[in-house]
Amino acid sequence: MRSNDEYPREIIVKLFAVSKDIVGKREITLMLPNEITLGMLRSRILEIYPSLVSLNNQFVLAVNHKTVTEDTMINHSDEIALLPPVSGG
Amino acid sequence: MIIITENPIDVDKILEDVKDSAAGAISIFIGTVRNHNSSRSVSEILYEAYNKMAEDVMTKIEIEALEKWNLRRSITIHRIGKLKVGETSVVVAVSSAHRKEAFDACNYVIDNIKNRVPIWKKEISGTEQKWVDGISLVR
Repeated sequence: MRSNDEYPREIIVKLFAVSKDIVGKREITLMLPNEITLGMLRSRILEIYPSLVSLNNQFVLAVNHKTVTEDTMINHSDEIALLPPVSGG
Repeated sequence: MIIITENPIDVDKILEDVKDSAAGAISIFIGTVRNHNSSRSVSEILYEAYNKMAEDVMTKIEIEALEKWNLRRSITIHRIGKLKVGETSVVVAVSSAHRKEAFDACNYVIDNIKNRVPIWKKEISGTEQKWVDGISLVR
């Protein structure tokens, strides 16, 4: 028997600025196991949206409005955002 | 105080609000939309923010400045949306007992906004549009 955590769940990733324009959407939805690291999510995003490879990995995936290390475990209830290099001011 | 807004920034009101009877100095930085970048002409800039995180990071920067320089008051307002040449995009205003603290704190806040806050600008020139090459956030 599989535990609940093994079933794929939706993870929504918000997109901003150039990443939003590249994909043509404000957010993307991925089906992923509940227990994965942020680094694994990064790899999965680039697999499913190869056009984002043009960002040369110059983006950060924020979790719940914070930058965290890529070994951080994430789950489907987290708010994930893809943040390209910033240019405010 | 930190504000991200789509409305025009009222610089006079900020100057009034940052005043403090114990402050002998006010330093203010006003960022405005320039009509060019390198050799390209620019007619408008579209600012986009990840609002909640941008507010959180700006608040953190403000607290760092307040602790480091013993400021009396601090106000930072960043505008988002579409701005025309000459419009104010960002204002940082601080007050302190002496001028060096105010100058240094103001400089610190605007530098860190440019490096750490999830806000982006897209330059618009006629029919051409381009997101400005930014600074990668630290992972």
